[in-house]
Amino acid sequence: MKRVRTTGLAALAVGMLTLAACGGGESAEADGGSGGSDTGELRLWLNGTDTPQELRDHLVETFEADNPGSTLVIEEQDWSGLVPRLQTALSSEDQTPDLVEIGNTQSPTFTYAGAFSDLTDMVDELGGDDLLQGFVEAGTVDDTVYAVPYYSGARAVFYDKRAFAAAGVEVPTTLAEFTEVATTLQQADPGGKPNWSGFWFPGQDWYNGVAWINAHGGEIAVSDGEEWTGALSSPESQEGLAEVADLFSTATSAPRDADSEEPWVPFNNGEVAMFSAPTWARWSIDLPECNKGVAADDESAAATALLAEQQACNEAATGVFALPGMEAGSPAPVFAGGSNLAIPAKSGNQELARDLLRIIFSDEYQGMLATNGLIPGNSQFADQLGDDVYAQAARDAAVDAKLTPAAEKWADVEGARILEDFFQQIASGADPAEAAAEADELLAETLN
Amino acid sequence: MSAPPLPSAAPAPPRAPTPPSSRPTDVLRPRRRPLRTRLWPYLLLVPALVPLGVGLGYPLARQFVLSFQEYGLAQQFGRPAEWVGLDNYVSLLSDSYVWGVIARSIAFCLVNAALTMAIGIALAVLMSKVGRAARITLQVGMLLAWGTPVLATMTVWQWLFDSQYGVVNWLLAGPLGMEGQRGHSWLIEPLSFYGVATVIVVWMSVPFVVFTVYAGLLQVPEECMEAAQLDGATSWQRLWRLALPMIRPVLFVVALLQVIWDLRVFTQIHVLQRAGAPTRETHLLGTYIYSLSKEFSMAGAMATIMLAITLALTATYIRRMLREEDA
Repeated sequence: MKRVRTTGLAALAVGMLTLAACGGGESAEADGGSGGSDTGELRLWLNGTDTPQELRDHLVETFEADNPGSTLVIEEQDWSGLVPRLQTALSSEDQTPDLVEIGNTQSPTFTYAGAFSDLTDMVDELGGDDLLQGFVEAGTVDDTVYAVPYYSGARAVFYDKRAFAAAGVEVPTTLAEFTEVATTLQQADPGGKPNWSGFWFPGQDWYNGVAWINAHGGEIAVSDGEEWTGALSSPESQEGLAEVADLFSTATSAPRDADSEEPWVPFNNGEVAMFSAPTWARWSIDLPECNKGVAADDESAAATALLAEQQACNEAATGVFALPGMEAGSPAPVFAGGSNLAIPAKSGNQELARDLLRIIFSDEYQGMLATNGLIPGNSQFADQLGDDVYAQAARDAAVDAKLTPAAEKWADVEGARILEDFFQQIASGADPAEAAAEADELLAETLN
Repeated sequence: MSAPPLPSAAPAPPRAPTPPSSRPTDVLRPRRRPLRTRLWPYLLLVPALVPLGVGLGYPLARQFVLSFQEYGLAQQFGRPAEWVGLDNYVSLLSDSYVWGVIARSIAFCLVNAALTMAIGIALAVLMSKVGRAARITLQVGMLLAWGTPVLATMTVWQWLFDSQYGVVNWLLAGPLGMEGQRGHSWLIEPLSFYGVATVIVVWMSVPFVVFTVYAGLLQVPEECMEAAQLDGATSWQRLWRLALPMIRPVLFVVALLQVIWDLRVFTQIHVLQRAGAPTRETHLLGTYIYSLSKEFSMAGAMATIMLAITLALTATYIRRMLREEDA
């Protein structure tokens, strides 16, 4: 009896030891496997719903066919709160995804921290000089590339054709003309609405406002290689900001405490003649006179037909153009939104992640991005965007689109909402020179 | 070969099932009893102490250590953290902006705590005077205000004060004829921002005060009040001189909690800032620490400073409370 008990205990102890050994063995294997091209489960983080389902399916199928025995899991992350989530996930070997999508303005924060693996040797293979250079720059530290462009989306101006006709104005061809048109529209107020805006320009909307600074040759901040200085006080930036102040005071009734979110809400209410947004905003325009009242969950053929009719009606009433630049025929350098792709340094599946990157930069996938209305990371494929007015506006706007400064701490500037505060001050009638001096100081303090 | 009688086989059979390892117990039993009795209460404390230590002690210790280091994202990805002594504290405390934030937070906290206490006590007294139906209506209303999740209520408040489509502006500009209020931005001036925040914070914390004080008032002996009434004390005097002093310990605890809660207010301020307020001019301690969060060491130092402020603000309260408990 006793012997049985002792043996049992011994067996149990041996069992425990074996289990512990297994645990150790597993982690050792994972460490050793970081360089090799083993099979495994690859986790890809994509943000928001920007990547359509069709593209996701393509990635999973192609990856799993190319790498038998491996699986690809795509986990969708929310854009808001992405930075803190990456901060925690990327620093842990157990939790890190193997390939991540990251906003272009957020990239420097992580590339400088050493969160991503070196991709320099892959750049030529992925597209070389054809890659969107501004995005590559945002992913580069000291000539080492850590993040490569996924897609870009530029901003274009949407307008209400009836309001244009009622006010007797045409699509502007220069930036100066744009202000004139916006002011005329503001005064015309065809619907007699008390909160009518010729151009929807809310006080915190620096994403759109920065185009005026860029167009006049100004910058938000410049670096001499070591120190960053705020450049909002430069004469060029001030010229642009004077026009911004002009628009705020004469061409808009948008609230000073709103930002660039959902500009189509007042547009759909018939309170706005023009607004500026990424080109995919076309899917959010929903004019009351076009609305067919189809239930959101109705997937019948009749409902689909009605929805198509509704979309056609909306698009017939709405026009779109790229914000014009200083000279006629050249687009303004608008703010470029978009994202980069990077392989977390702590991922144990480096080789598999590189395979997935090759699939993403394949001709086929880049073409699919373009046909879905996104400007692909490899600019050669932008032609496949199509020929409709939206694609044209998107392409025109992307020609000269400009990113935010590629500073290590740029995300801190966004986190502290320095530019939101600054544009709000301009919208409230503050002196642009004074407000800019103050903002420049904050920028320098935050970026260095 | 006779089986050698094992020593353990000698005692009475009932003890056979005892595992061999527990044998020494027989010898030690008389001495072990008191030890076990002495250990038992401490063992009972373990389930409470472990979560406290893990959930509260560890972060606090880590925050304290971080505040003396240079620790940012790069350090989180493996670069060694440098010890910088008091540098973080010096750079924070020598910044006039930080002092502004501290002053604003203390003012906001005191105003809110005072308003909450005043309105809460008034409503509690009202609740003890009115009839049953009115009391239940009040109680249900209070419970709803108290029980709704913060973010849900914040969304509703945000809509109420929305400058373009908000009900408040619509009411003021439409039926009340104040045309200038159309499109008025409530959040853009810091003072009016704190006004809105105060309305929301007070609205959310009043129910707790009401219920606690009301429960306290129910404990005031009826005969005392009656005696005072016979002696000719007015109802105001009865409340001020008799009822409130009798429930003073309750008031102390509630006021203490209010001060602590209102000093570290975060959600309401953060959501309102995101709704369009100028961020830098409206920071309070909670949101300011959050804005530092990419430099963990700075945020740690600021959080430690905030802890010191909380302790300083509440020290007298806590001392008095402890004294009254002893008495």
